[in-house]
Amino acid sequence: MTTDYRTDALIQVKHLGKRFGDLEVLKDINVDIRKGDVVCVIGPSGSGKSTFLRCLNRLEEPTGGNILFEGVDITAPKTDIDKHRQKMGMVFQQFNLFPHMTIMKNLIIAPMKLQGRPQKEAEEEAMRLLERVGLADRAGAYPSQLSGGQKQRIAIVRALCMKPDVMLFDEPTSALDPEMVGEVLNVMRDLARERMTMVVVTHEMGFAREVANRVMFMDDGYFLEENAPEEFFAHPRNERLKNFLSKVL
Amino acid sequence: MSDKFRADFYQNFIEDDRWKYMVNGLGNTIKITFFAVLLGIVLGFLVALIRSTYEKTRKLWFLDMLCRVYLTVIRGTPVLIQLMIIYFVVFGSMRIDKVLVSVLAFGINSGAYVAEIFRSGIMSIDNGQFEAGRSLGFNYRQTMFYIVTPQAFKNVLPALGNEFIVLLKETSVAGYIAIQELTKGADIIRSRTYNAYMPLLAAGAIYLVMVMIFTHFVQKLERRLRNSDH
Ligand SMILES: Nc1ncnc2c1ncn2[C@@H]1O[C@H](COP(=O)(O)OP(=O)(O)OP(=O)(O)O)[C@@H](O)[C@H]1O
Ligand SMILES: [Mg+2]
Repeated sequence: MTTDYRTDALIQVKHLGKRFGDLEVLKDINVDIRKGDVVCVIGPSGSGKSTFLRCLNRLEEPTGGNILFEGVDITAPKTDIDKHRQKMGMVFQQFNLFPHMTIMKNLIIAPMKLQGRPQKEAEEEAMRLLERVGLADRAGAYPSQLSGGQKQRIAIVRALCMKPDVMLFDEPTSALDPEMVGEVLNVMRDLARERMTMVVVTHEMGFAREVANRVMFMDDGYFLEENAPEEFFAHPRNERLKNFLSKVL
Repeated sequence: MSDKFRADFYQNFIEDDRWKYMVNGLGNTIKITFFAVLLGIVLGFLVALIRSTYEKTRKLWFLDMLCRVYLTVIRGTPVLIQLMIIYFVVFGSMRIDKVLVSVLAFGINSGAYVAEIFRSGIMSIDNGQFEAGRSLGFNYRQTMFYIVTPQAFKNVLPALGNEFIVLLKETSVAGYIAIQELTKGADIIRSRTYNAYMPLLAAGAIYLVMVMIFTHFVQKLERRLRNSDH
């Protein structure tokens, strides 16, 4: 698989490899993520989906290949990764809200400290986003006072407050009770509608089918298949993907 | 009985203004404890940061090694030996304020225990907190400062309070380098009046009251911090 250069590629992943000691988790990953793409990554447990996602903002250090973000090789040793991470929002399975801060503080601390935005402006922006996810009344609460679904919506807003160019989601609904999955997916659906670039590792096949414009299947350290959702689910070609879909659908 | 008590009290505390031994001693005890606590916190915090940075990132290995030597030596020897070595060996030929020597000795000693308390607190914070901070664009130091250490501090507050209570009481050995702290003050009175129970019970009661007051404030602070997130 080769990657041809596209001017609208926001992230270009070239021959990405990652090993933990003897365990080679990512072998040769090549993918371009374009502006406005909603890419869903699916695959069996342990296949390296999280590792791939975490390599994109270097929470895991790649052991091979390159990642270009907005034209800059962020795997180069001298890159200031902190700077680029400000433009890559990340949402975790376990929410990871800061428990010692109010919701509002969770939302404004990074914009204020990292982008130098005045408190008032940061708070107004945060409030606007809170209203959009229906949680404006919880601004003064602490994370422990929120339900799982509310926490995850706040976590999404926290990332959005940095005005990122891409959002990375690692199984954002897997830690939620079933009745709360919908509220989080709705927020993500709205984001997709606004043309936010998103990379979503998920087990929610319904979401992938409906919201993604590209679905990718990862197994064995490679992306074994990629397609538009209709094709991907209706006519899978790779044997492993067929096998995988027959189990999860 | 009450006549005897009154006579003893007079002899031990009023006569020749002997109460001054107690008050001056108490002043020194408080002074030593207070500054040693500060020094211990600063030292302990630095050591804990170095040690947990090494554990998390494998950086600073040399400083980490120095810290481990410090922890091993300090925690492996009695504080009285450390105090006497600092006074008689390190500063042996110099004229130096004994209170300052005590602050150094007890601060360096306490720092080792505080370091391990802080370190366990930092390591007990879920790594997801750290990653959330880094993913927003905070660098290592900012993530530690804004996100990890405030939570760690809250978690270790009881252990920290305990360490300071131990330190307050341990300063009673400072008399060995002829500092008149509270215990020594009481002992001087005893040696003058040949009355043991009155000054020693008084000194013990003063320690007890100080510990109780201190515990009260720590508990109050704990409650306040706890209310702020649960
Ligand atoms: N820090 C690490 N050290 C060693 N091995 C790791 C580490 N992180 C992940 N692995 C291993 O790498 C492999 C891929 O893990 P990864 O979490 O990326 O899988 P995944 O596709 O996200 O799985 P899941 O669907 O269960 O989340 C697994 O075998 C895992 O045990
Ligand atoms: Mg995963």
